Amino acid sequence: MDFDLTKEQEMIRKEVRKFAQKEIAPIASELDEKEEFSETLTRKMGEIGLFGIFVSEQYEGQAMDYISYIIAVEEIARIDGSQAATIAAGNSLGIGPIYYFGTREQKEKYLPKLCSGEGLWGFGLTEPTAGSDAGGSKTTAVLDANEWVINGSKIFITNAACDLSMGVTVQAITGTRDNGKPEYSCILVESDTPGFKAIPMHKKMMWRASNTAELYFDDVRVPKSNILGKKGDGFHQMLSTLDGGRLSIGAMGLGGAQGAYDLALQYAKERQQFNQPISKFQAIAFKLADSAMEIECARNLLYKACWLKNNKRPYEKEAAMGKLYCSEVMGRVTNHAVQIHGGYGLMKEYNVERFYRDQKLLDIGEGTSEIQRLVISRYIGC
Amino acid sequence: MKILTTVKKVVDVELNIHIENGAIVEDGLQYVINAWDENAVEAAVVLKENNGAQTTLVSIGGEDNTDMIRKCYAMGIENAILIDEPSLAGADSFVYARVLQKVYETGDYDLVIAGKQAQDTDNGQTGIILSKYLDLPCVSNVISMEVMDETHIKVSRLGDGGIEIVELALPAVVTVSDSINEPRLPAMRGIMMAKKKKIEIMDLAKLGTSLDEVGGAKSQIVEFMKSKTRQGGQKFEGDAAEITTRVVDLLANEAKVFI
Ligand SMILES: Cc1cc2nc3c(=O)[nH]c(=O)nc-3n(C[C@H](O)[C@H](O)[C@H](O)COP(=O)(O)OP(=O)(O)OC[C@H]3O[C@@H](n4cnc5c(N)ncnc54)[C@H](O)[C@@H]3O)c2cc1C
Repeated sequence: MDFDLTKEQEMIRKEVRKFAQKEIAPIASELDEKEEFSETLTRKMGEIGLFGIFVSEQYEGQAMDYISYIIAVEEIARIDGSQAATIAAGNSLGIGPIYYFGTREQKEKYLPKLCSGEGLWGFGLTEPTAGSDAGGSKTTAVLDANEWVINGSKIFITNAACDLSMGVTVQAITGTRDNGKPEYSCILVESDTPGFKAIPMHKKMMWRASNTAELYFDDVRVPKSNILGKKGDGFHQMLSTLDGGRLSIGAMGLGGAQGAYDLALQYAKERQQFNQPISKFQAIAFKLADSAMEIECARNLLYKACWLKNNKRPYEKEAAMGKLYCSEVMGRVTNHAVQIHGGYGLMKEYNVERFYRDQKLLDIGEGTSEIQRLVISRYIGC
Repeated sequence: MKILTTVKKVVDVELNIHIENGAIVEDGLQYVINAWDENAVEAAVVLKENNGAQTTLVSIGGEDNTDMIRKCYAMGIENAILIDEPSLAGADSFVYARVLQKVYETGDYDLVIAGKQAQDTDNGQTGIILSKYLDLPCVSNVISMEVMDETHIKVSRLGDGGIEIVELALPAVVTVSDSINEPRLPAMRGIMMAKKKKIEIMDLAKLGTSLDEVGGAKSQIVEFMKSKTRQGGQKFEGDAAEITTRVVDLLANEAKVFI
C-alpha cells in the first residue's frame, strides 16, 4: 500500500495553495459580502489550468488524474467555497458530460474554450418540481424536422448566467420508454439561442460569489446534432455525471473543513482567557483533536474513491460515502471552529462564519445527504 | 539568443531553523528554489516568450534538486542541466562559479541570468565571480531587461541613489533583483509536461574537468549562530507631558540618537 502522492500531485497542491492564498484569500470575504461573481478571478483560475483538469491535451485540457483534480478543488475550498464551486461545477458538471459523452465535433467546438476558463457551461437537471426526484421533470424536447424544440425551466443551475456562460447541457423528456416511464436525453443549448433565458439567482445564504441561475426555455430550437450521445441516454449520463461530481463536492467538504480547522487552531493558540491560551482547555483541545482526526479520515476515504476511479474500478459507492462524509465532517468542524472563536466567530471579519454558511450547501447539492444514504444503502443490499 | 539561468536550492528560511553545537539541524528542514533565482527563471521565460530566446537552467546539487528543476520546467524553462557531483559538498561561491564557467563553456550562450544573491547565505557573489572567470561584462541588481537587437540588451539596475540604465553587449552576465518581476505560478499543464521532460545530469568528469581544476573552497563555514531576536518595544502610559520628557531623555541618554 502506498499513501504517497506523486511529485506532480504534490506540486499541484503547493501551487494551487499559493494561488488561493495570493489571489482568492484577499477578496473572498468582499465577494461574499457583495454577492459578486468575479469574472476576473475565474479567468485567472483558468490561466493556471483549473478547468478541464481531467481532459486530455487533444481538447486543450490539463490531462491530469482524478486525485490531482480533487486536490485542486480541496485547496481552493480551503480558502473559499464559492470559487471552489465555480471550479467543481465547471469541471464535473460543465465540462464532464461534454468530454465523456460528446461527439468529436462537440468537443472540438466547446472544450478548448471551457478548458481555458474563457467560458463556462452549466448542467441543467434540477427543476422546481424535480429535485431529489428527477422523475418529476417537466422540461421536454420534441424533434421537429432537424431541430429539437425545448420547453420548460430549470432552477439552481451553477455557472449558467454570468458573462462567461456559453451554454448549458439540459436534461429533457424526449419520449416514453417501453415501460411507460419518460425517456430522458441531454441536449446542448448555447446561451444566445432565441427563447432561452438565464437569470441569476440572488440572496443566497452560501456560495454567494458563485453564479446560480434559473433557466427558461420557450420554444428554444437547436440543431438535432446538439444531442449529447444517443437519444434516451440522458438518465444514465446524469447519474454518471453525478457520481464524478460527488467526488468534487467531497473535496469541497474536505478543503472547507481543513480551512476552518486551520483558522480555529491558530485562534485557539492565540486567544487568552483565564491567563492561558484557550487551546490549553481540554474542552477546546478535544474539539480540535476530533476535527483533526475526522479530516484525516475524510481525506483517506475521498482519495481512495478517486484512486478507484483512476484505476477504472467501481467507485460509485465510495463516491457517495466520500461526498456524504466529507460534507458532514465539514459541518462538525465548522461548528467547532465558530464555537472556538466565541463571539468573534459570528463576525464576518473572522472568516469562519463564511465556512459555516458555505458548508450547508454540501448537505444539499448534487444529491442531499438523505439521498446519499439511500444510494449507499442500496449498494450494501438494503 | 541562448540564455543560461543559474538556480540554487536553498533551505526554506521562512520555517524555523534550529542550530545545535554550531551546526544546522538537518531534520525537518525544507528546501525551496532560491527566491532571486525564481526571478531569474521568470526573466528568462519572459525573454523566451517575447523574443524567442532559448532557455537552459543549471543547478548544482543532488537528485533532490529535481523537484525544483521540474517546477522551473513547469514555469517554461526548456532545458535543464543538473551537476550532480557529491565531491562539491562544502563548496563556496568561488568553486560554484568555476563549475558554472565550465557549464557555460559547453554551450554557446549569449546571456547568463543569475539571482543577485541566495537567501541561505546572502553572499551575492557567484554571478559576479562567474563574470570575472568568463571575462564578460556584468550588471548586478537588475530591475528590468529588454532586448535591443541580436547582440545587445538594455538593462536598468537599482543603485544606491537612483536607477542606472545600461546598454550591454552580449555575451554578458546579469544578476537580478527581486523587483524585476513577479514569478508566475506554474500552470497545471506545465506541471504535467514537466513530468515528461529529461534533465541532463552531469558531473565534473562529463564537464571535462576535475575537482583539482575547479579548486577547493577558499572559505569555510566554521560555525552557525542564531541572530539575536528583536527585543520588544517599551510602552509608556500616563500624562502626555511626563511621557514626552521621559522619551526624550531615553532617546538622548540611552539610545543616544541626538548628538
Ligand atoms: C447553490 C446551488 C447550486 C446548485 N447547482 C445545480 C446545478 O448546477 N445543476 C443542477 O441540476 N442542480 C443544481 N442544484 C440543485 C440541487 O442539486 C438540488 O437542490 C438538490 O438535488 C435537492 O433538490 P431540492 O432542492 O429540490 O430538494 P428536495 O428534493 O425537495 O428535498 C427536500 C428534502 O427532502 C428530502 N428527500 C427528498 N426525497 C427523499 C427521499 N426519497 N428520502 C428521504 N428524503 C428525501 C431531501 O433529502 C431534503 O432534505 C444546486 C442547488 C443549489 C442550492
